[in-house]
Amino acid sequence: MKIVGIAACTSGIAHTYIAREKIMKAAQKLGYDIHMETQGTIGTENALTPEDIKEADFVLLAVDIKVGGRERFKGKKVVEVDTNTAIKAPTQLLEKVVDKLGLTE
Amino acid sequence: MLKKLQLKKHAMTAISYMLPLVVASGLLIAIGNLTGGTQITKFTGDYSLPSTLTTLGVWGMGLLAPVISAAIAYSIADRPGIAPGLLSGIISYNIGAGFLGGMLGGFITGWVVAALVKYVKVPKWAEGLKPMMIVPLLSSLIMAVLMFYIVGQPIVWATNWLTTFLNSMQGSARFLFGSILGGMAAFDFGGPVNKVASLFADGMLLQNVQQPEAVKILASMVPPFGVSLSWLFAHFLRRRIYTKREEDNIKIAFPMGIVMITEGVIPIAAVDLIRVVISCTIGAAIGGGLSMAWGIKSPVPSGGLFIVPAMNKPLLFCLALLIGSLITAFLLLILKKRVPDDKYDNPEDDLEDDEDDEEVNLDDIKIN
Repeated sequence: MKIVGIAACTSGIAHTYIAREKIMKAAQKLGYDIHMETQGTIGTENALTPEDIKEADFVLLAVDIKVGGRERFKGKKVVEVDTNTAIKAPTQLLEKVVDKLGLTE
Repeated sequence: MLKKLQLKKHAMTAISYMLPLVVASGLLIAIGNLTGGTQITKFTGDYSLPSTLTTLGVWGMGLLAPVISAAIAYSIADRPGIAPGLLSGIISYNIGAGFLGGMLGGFITGWVVAALVKYVKVPKWAEGLKPMMIVPLLSSLIMAVLMFYIVGQPIVWATNWLTTFLNSMQGSARFLFGSILGGMAAFDFGGPVNKVASLFADGMLLQNVQQPEAVKILASMVPPFGVSLSWLFAHFLRRRIYTKREEDNIKIAFPMGIVMITEGVIPIAAVDLIRVVISCTIGAAIGGGLSMAWGIKSPVPSGGLFIVPAMNKPLLFCLALLIGSLITAFLLLILKKRVPDDKYDNPEDDLEDDEDDEEVNLDDIKIN
């Protein structure tokens, strides 16, 4: 399972990075390969590469605001939640999406 | 229907783009004023460096409505929203409709532009003209008519009414208002509720009502200071209420608090949410009420303790801040459970452990 995603919150200094960390940890625990980009107030960090996106099974957006570069995900399955959901229940979130998309291996 | 409009996301995008502008402009005004600067009105002679800082800061605050409006329109309609959004915002600024006008104008601009992009069909030879001329011109024309003739005036009235209302409040009403604003600003440690309170205070500052700004600054500092004080008291009373990991977090939260970043308290609140939120909200509400009742004004929207000298009553502000922080500290001391010795530096028992998910309803997740 390969996942790519973006995290972005309103202030762009705290929740963005907490959400990224929580999702990455949950994904590792579930044995998924994940790349998360952050779009904080400082700008984009850990940017997704075209290869990451091409290989991904789905795109996970944990965002409270409009994020840049959505056109990169054209033709991909995109799931959008707020950062709060991702921080509170990252494991459930990933499991739910994988389940809904019928991707269980 | 309301959910589909994504009002919150668009407003949050605007706040996200607005924050650095407000912080930079506010600090420029503060530094300029403190070093004896005044706003420059004649650009012919020599002017001092402090005066240039104050002037730039004031201009920057004037950009608030255009930036809010452009960011909302961008969030709704993507790139084509920016130009007409800026224009709607500058109308709002100049007719005195302030940030309310900027927000409403931004939403209308975004929807208008999105509709134009979708429904205006042009022949092949004019396709290049559509994004470059047709959409910008048509949307700006529509927004000019709407803002000048229809939307603008009621907002000017509403803004004026709000300004008069806030200025005319007396005694207990002022305390109540201050405590609501203060409680909101501290409630979620820099989250969306705080941003609403913050946006309101910044908007009022544009109308030259400076009391809410002082409440906001105070309430943003009460949680980090209150938590730090409670740790200090707990230490002296030999009543251990924080684990080793929490203590480390407090050491980070305190310096962040000095510059009025509340987010440092999040790791401490996350492990004991209800008790910490209650303590911080009540402390900030009382501090905010006092600040408002004592008529403390801040001409600057952010900067923490460093901009206290720029306020009209710096000492009273410090007193209100101290009272609010003490109340938070005492509440934490009373409410928080003791940490047994064997749990003190045992991270396994920490509730913050990432393995545990909270209960969240994920049924309405949509996949596109």
